[in-house]
Amino acid sequence: MKKLSKCIALPVAVAFAATLAASSTFAQSVDTARIEAGGQNDWLTYHGSYKSHHYSPLAQINASNVSNLGVAWIHIPGRSTRGLQSMPLVADGVLYYTGSYSRTFALNGATGEVIWSYFPELDEALIARQTHSPYNRGVALGEGKVYVGTMDGRLIALDAKTGKVAWDTKLVDSQKLTVGFTGAPLYAKGTVVIGSQGGEWPGRGPIFGVDAATGKKKWEFLTVAGTDEAMKTWGNDSWRTGGGGGWMPGTYDSETNTILWGTANPAPLYDWSGNDFKTQGARPGDNLYTTSVIALDVDTGKLKSYHQELPHDAWDFDSAVGEFVMLERDGQKLVVHPNKSGFIFVYDRNLAVKNVWRLVENINFVKNIDPKTGDLIGRRDFTAGKVESPPLCPYIGGGVSWNAGSYNPKTGLYYKIGQEWCMTLEVQKTTPVTAPQVQLNIGADFKIAPPPGGEIYGHLDARDPVTGAKKWEVRFPEPPLGSVLSTAGNLVFVPDSRGVVHAYDAETGTELWNHADGTGHQGGIISYAINGKQYIALTAGFGGMLSDDYAATFGGVYKSMPRDDGALIVYSLK
Amino acid sequence: MNLNVKALLPAVMAAWLTCAMSAAAQQPAAKAADNDAFDVEQLFATTCGFCHSDGGRAAGRGPQLMDSARDDDFLRNRIKNGKNGAMPAFGTAFSDAQIDEIVKHIRSLKPRS
Repeated sequence: MKKLSKCIALPVAVAFAATLAASSTFAQSVDTARIEAGGQNDWLTYHGSYKSHHYSPLAQINASNVSNLGVAWIHIPGRSTRGLQSMPLVADGVLYYTGSYSRTFALNGATGEVIWSYFPELDEALIARQTHSPYNRGVALGEGKVYVGTMDGRLIALDAKTGKVAWDTKLVDSQKLTVGFTGAPLYAKGTVVIGSQGGEWPGRGPIFGVDAATGKKKWEFLTVAGTDEAMKTWGNDSWRTGGGGGWMPGTYDSETNTILWGTANPAPLYDWSGNDFKTQGARPGDNLYTTSVIALDVDTGKLKSYHQELPHDAWDFDSAVGEFVMLERDGQKLVVHPNKSGFIFVYDRNLAVKNVWRLVENINFVKNIDPKTGDLIGRRDFTAGKVESPPLCPYIGGGVSWNAGSYNPKTGLYYKIGQEWCMTLEVQKTTPVTAPQVQLNIGADFKIAPPPGGEIYGHLDARDPVTGAKKWEVRFPEPPLGSVLSTAGNLVFVPDSRGVVHAYDAETGTELWNHADGTGHQGGIISYAINGKQYIALTAGFGGMLSDDYAATFGGVYKSMPRDDGALIVYSLK
Repeated sequence: MNLNVKALLPAVMAAWLTCAMSAAAQQPAAKAADNDAFDVEQLFATTCGFCHSDGGRAAGRGPQLMDSARDDDFLRNRIKNGKNGAMPAFGTAFSDAQIDEIVKHIRSLKPRS
């Protein structure tokens, strides 16, 4: 076997400072307290604030004037291989976002003028061997730095003023494990947290805590068999290739000094154990802590509590969605977390189940999930062979995807995209391929299929986040894949897959405005204000593990839609 | 050559673990995969099928491979070198002989009964 290569190139900053015409301060003062407060002019962390509401209290753009919304400026990041998936952040008038290959930009949020850019020198030969690559979903801000992960396994801190590298820490041996970082990091209390890709990749799916000042690794939590208790849930040493990971940013609970994070699925995705999954098949047992929500001490990475949403996940319906929507109901502090299966879990702050409800109609991998206990009822565990009648629902793309919904405290409604689609599959016994470089481990051939008796579609739901009671729904012929934004202007924004961004009345679902961005959306959308003017910023640019399905499945506009292009588009009132 | 991966992969796994992350258990080195244990049908259910739907029989994230109009050289080259943003390069994961086996398998694909 070859020795580990040292060819991971050292980062080379191509950062440069440009003249900033406007007088802007920078993100020097972003800290835990400020992110917690979530000031109305900024968007300081991936989920808006630690409450994960993806909500803006700005109301200058509102239901009565949204028809006057127009493009204020755009920015083209270049080299948008597989589109743009980033959630922009804004602090003190400066907008930070990333493109593919972790290209990082600081822009004047009012004009789009480039303040600095940073293109890390990456191991391109490695990236050419990766499947879930080279997209990037954004940065974290804190302590005067901008933090970004890379596909070759590094976490990099940039000076927020200049874009120069403050530190560059190698965390994952991507040469062997193939995976890296696509998700945005999370900053909290002097620690930068970032989770590795994993899931169908045989590995142990680490989540890292890194010292924000020095770049030194403080802790590492293995989502596969990370404790003695968890090790017992992986029969036949299957933990060695268990998958897991935590590839989307979670959030931080300051009251308990806890990181809340969702974990990815075990490998192989599909198991052939049949009903005897505790003792038979590829990975006998519950497979902790995959497809779980976990609470880690931010200072030590020590596990404080967890709930495994799908014990022995045999369907790739993981918990990696990063939203932990924090709210209060009847004096109780609750956390709402969507599972990829289309079930929405409601927890208390210690991750004890308080309710489980269905966002999507087409679910048949279980008959139900007990809303009181979270127990799976009527599991559908496969043996090797065909699964056709009925097809497995939802499709591998999930009842929900990884992008975020939005909770609006003014309406009390949770706006979330649901996806209605299914799949046929033929489960096959596989053995993990781990040399010379780790390869995917699926455990089946599969094909997308419409729901029984119906067509594929997507829907934006406005629901009570705790009970799931539906107030209204808007349907789309193809599931939208971007994030959702709601605002105090009684608006809900949905960037759809065809490339149109829609604004709906948050109370009724009536469409009030739309605009074509020229290509499909699959990234973030935020709102911020500078000098008293409100902006809406979003990324457009299609391509990636889910949107790559659309041309073959839906045809139409997707046949000609580029998968190597994208733009940041910023709107304001004309 | 139709080979059985099962016999090989425990050794392969051990090889990987030697180089795995610091927190992973360290295992003795072992030789990498050779062509005596290469089951292409299983390879589709392991890796290729994530993009090539129904084991390569239908278009999905990647194109349909069954009845491909591309010639063998094109397929070999694409598997080996990939296509930026669309298909990973497998030239370091698989030997030329193994890639030949993959091409043969693609040519043998038939609709499922």
